[in-house]
Parts: sequence; C-alpha cells; structure tokens
Amino acid sequence: MSSYIVPEDLRYSKDHEWVRIEGSIAIVGITDYAVKSLHDIVYVSLPKIGSTIPKGLVAATVESIKAVSEVYNPISGTVIEVNKDLETSPEKINESPYEAGWLFKLNPTNLKEDIEKLFSSKQYLEYLSSLKK
Amino acid sequence: MTKFLEECDMEKLSKVLYQIGINEVGELYRDIPEEVLLKGELNLPEPLEEMDLENYIYSVLEKNRTQGEFLVFLGGGLPPHYVPATVDTITSRSEFYTAYTPYQPEISQGMLQALFEYQSMICDLTGMDVANSSMYDWATAVAEAIRMAIRVKGNKKILVGANVGPERKKVIRTYLEPLDMEMVEVKYLQDSGRLDLSDLEEKAEDACCLYIENPNFFGVLEKEASKVSEIVHAKGGLFVVGADPISLALVKSPSEYGADIVVGEGQILGGGLNFGGPALGIFACKSDPSLVRQIPGRIIGMTTDLANTQRAFTMVLQTREQHIRREHATSNICSNEALMAVGALTYLALLGSKGLRKLALETYNKAHYASKVLSELKEVNAPYFSGEFFQEFAINFKNKRLEEVIKGLVAKKIVPGIMLESDFPELKNTLLSCFTEVHKEADIDIFVKALKEVIS
Repeated sequence: MSSYIVPEDLRYSKDHEWVRIEGSIAIVGITDYAVKSLHDIVYVSLPKIGSTIPKGLVAATVESIKAVSEVYNPISGTVIEVNKDLETSPEKINESPYEAGWLFKLNPTNLKEDIEKLFSSKQYLEYLSSLKK
Repeated sequence: MTKFLEECDMEKLSKVLYQIGINEVGELYRDIPEEVLLKGELNLPEPLEEMDLENYIYSVLEKNRTQGEFLVFLGGGLPPHYVPATVDTITSRSEFYTAYTPYQPEISQGMLQALFEYQSMICDLTGMDVANSSMYDWATAVAEAIRMAIRVKGNKKILVGANVGPERKKVIRTYLEPLDMEMVEVKYLQDSGRLDLSDLEEKAEDACCLYIENPNFFGVLEKEASKVSEIVHAKGGLFVVGADPISLALVKSPSEYGADIVVGEGQILGGGLNFGGPALGIFACKSDPSLVRQIPGRIIGMTTDLANTQRAFTMVLQTREQHIRREHATSNICSNEALMAVGALTYLALLGSKGLRKLALETYNKAHYASKVLSELKEVNAPYFSGEFFQEFAINFKNKRLEEVIKGLVAKKIVPGIMLESDFPELKNTLLSCFTEVHKEADIDIFVKALKEVIS
C-alpha cells in the first residue's frame, strides 16, 4: 500500500517530521512523504544553534520553487547542531531524507513526554493512508 | 448607476434581477449603512457637449505654467535629462504597455527578457551581481534596503548620512516606525559637504547599516567612500549606497568602493519628469547568499525550457514574495515599475556605455561651467561646498534673502533651484542648482545675467 519509506526505528509527527534518538541527542528531519509532496527542494533555512525551541513551534523552513513549508519542532529542545551541507546541497533532503538530509540536532528538554506523543512507524503509516482518503 | 440601467431593456433587467434573487437594483447596495448613503443627486454641473468640454478643459490647463516656458535648474534627486523619442516608441507598444505581471512565463517571454536585460544593465552600471526588476522609487528602495539590512544583521540601530535627500529620510522613518529601531544621522563636514568620517567612527558601533548618497544631496561626491566602507564593515554593518545612475558612467561604481546594496532613481533614465512620476526604484546587491534571499521585489532569471533546447526567462526566488510567503515575505511590495524599466532599458541600450559616458561628461561640464561663472560673482558664495561635485552645487547668497532672489528670477522665467533652509536650517539663504546636458551654455549665461540683475 505505502509507496512511502517509513523507517521502523523512528518516531513521527502529524506534520511529517521524524525524530531519531541517539543517546541523549535527538535528530530531526522531514519524512519521505513530505519530500515527495514538496518536489525539488532548493533552499533550507535552519534554526540558530543555541536557540531553545518549544515543541510545535516553527524550527526551520524548506523551500521548493513555488512553495515554502514550515518544519515544526516535534520535541522541545535546544539546537546543538545543524546540517551545514544543506546550505550548498539542499537536494540531499530529496535524495536521503532520513540520513544525509537530516535538518538539526537537539538537546531535548522534555524527551520522555514528547516522544510518547509522536507516532510509531506503524501509526504513521496508518496516518498516511488516512490522508489518501 | 441606476440612470444607466434605466436605459436598459427593462424586461431583460427584471430577468437578471430575478436570477440573482433581488427585486430592484438598489438592493445590491444594501450593505452600505443608511447614514452614509447618498440621497439625491451628486453636486455636478450639467453635462457638456464634447467640443465644449474640450474647450473648458483647455482653458483650465492654460492656467498652468509649464517647464517649456521657463529655464529650470531643479535637481534634488530628479535632474532633468532629455528623453529620446525612441523610448516612447518602445514603451507605447501595446505588448509592453498593457502587459500585466509575467506570472505565466510561457506567454510573457518578451516582457521577461526585457526585464532581465534591464536587470543586467543595472548590474553593469552599479557593479553589483543581482538586481531586481525595479521598485516603486528611490525612497522606497532605500527604505527596503534598510529593512533588508535589519533582517540580515538584527541590530537596533541604523545610520543615515545627514547629507542625504530629506524625502528619503522621511520615507526611511516611515518604514522604521513599526519597528523598535533607532535612526542616527551621521554629520557632514561644513566645508566640503562630505560625510564626517570621525563622526561615523564614533557612531558606527552596533549599526546594521549605513546609508549614504553619492553624489550626496548637496551634489558633492563622497570621495572617501572606500574609507566609509571600511569603517562600516569593521563594525559589522552593511553599506547601502544611493547613486545617480547617470553619474555611474563617469564615477567609480559603488561595488568598487565596497557597497553591499545600491539603490537609486531610475526615472532619469528616459522616464521624463512628468510632474513628479512615475518613478523607478533601482535596487541591486552583491551575490552574498545571506543577502540574495532577502532581496525584496521581483527578480527575473534566465534558464532553459523543459526540453533544454531553448533559452527562457521566468520570475525566480518567488518564495520571498507576497503571493507565496504572505506575512513572512521579505516585503509587502507586490508590483514593480515594469514599463518604466522597459523605458530605462531602451534609454540605456540607445545610448550604450559610450553614449552614457558622453552624456554624463556633458552634464558634468555644464555644471562646472556654471560653477566657474557663478564663482566670479562677489555677491554669492558659489560653489558653497568645497567638495568635488557632479551636476549640482549649492550657492550661498550671504545676507540676501533667498526668497526674494527666487521671486525675482521666476518673474524673469527662471526657476533657479531648491531652497535648502527648510530641510537644512543651518544652510540659510542657500540654493541648490542643477545643470545637465539639457542646459545650453547660453541658458546658463542667461541665468547668471538674470541673477546679477536680481541681486544688485
């Protein structure tokens, strides 16, 4: 059914962001579904390192030629690193949304609670098929 | 409206009213509150026959005194320049004259190419890498440049040379009003008319940008612009320069002395004076990635068609703009001066770089001839500022009341220039006069002769 890639080990938001936990750090990006809806990404605006962004607020924007998409922070945290490669090669998000196309890394401030509120891969897949209707 | 409809076929009208669900035409206006509804007729005179109406209009127009009857030496940001007939021939072509925004590139290649060429010429003139396809006028172009600097740098203070155009200062203030920003003026030197570099050094800390004009409002060339650039950049600010586009054929381009953003009035490029407008805001900047995506206004880019066989033009970086970004757009501008830009393109293409340089040189020479002749008059101090100038200079009338002098000259069909005192109270009885290629040497001699008569 799903023509979208949805890795099992990640957590997902309704706005099509994914979160990977590596130790105490959270890595955030946008899903294959988001990328396929946007088509060619030409520019990314990433958050300032050191900024603390509550869950649900706009953390970054992703631009295609005719549209701008807001990336909402899926879990509260402080930005510790951003993917500098995307400055010159935003297409990495299209090519590899879950690996090379990661957007930013956070020091989560409310990890347990926030993660629980996100979808599992199974739940996200169900959510995606509900969108098709 | 109802009078017009009375002439219509009542049967057809009642069918239409029935279709849209009302009984009478007046019901279409039922949302207008009763208390503001016009009752009775408009207070207008009786209609005239076309011929009588024409006569009436001409009799009113006759009361105007037009430029053709006077020798006019007004500059102040809008110097007079000759408009070749070819410009109007091109801009009056309906393909350009009636074209709307080229949102659909596939049917707008002509206009898009023209605007792209205009942008290219602006880049050539200013030395910048990217130009947009125009803003409304010089004043709003500066204000936008400053808003852009604020977005890029984020500090709370902006610097403006005290010797820039008063109208530009006012518009900058208007654009800063909704923001919590401080606008600080950098003094100018009383002897040369140029920017005071030591005052700039003192004030440059924490400024997101400095805006100067070159030549400045007094007509004086900011010869130390490179030094200005160094000071501003050392403190992390952006350097915004307002330049006369014709002067750029003669003087160093702003890119050569470190400008980040260049703005100016393009109306003088074949637009004509037209009682003030329409104007043409020039806006260009360096291709720094932090800057380009913050540019306001329309930008036309060159690419190929999908088959990769033909060159094609289209609006680019539209994600900065209103129709996509809405309240997050870089500006609330959602239009441009496309027809004026096509006119400017025609003017520049007609002159070419050699012709433009010749024109600039002639302008410079006329102004310097005037300055030389006026400097021989003991009753005035001309040129008032010692700084090297391009096409304008200030004339100080010492103790003579300038209003009286101007009155006397206007009576002799001469408009000598702009009174500086109203915007620069320290410059009492001081006039700003402008001379360009449109002034013959004989005209300047007439001016000086009349001036001698009036002040003696």
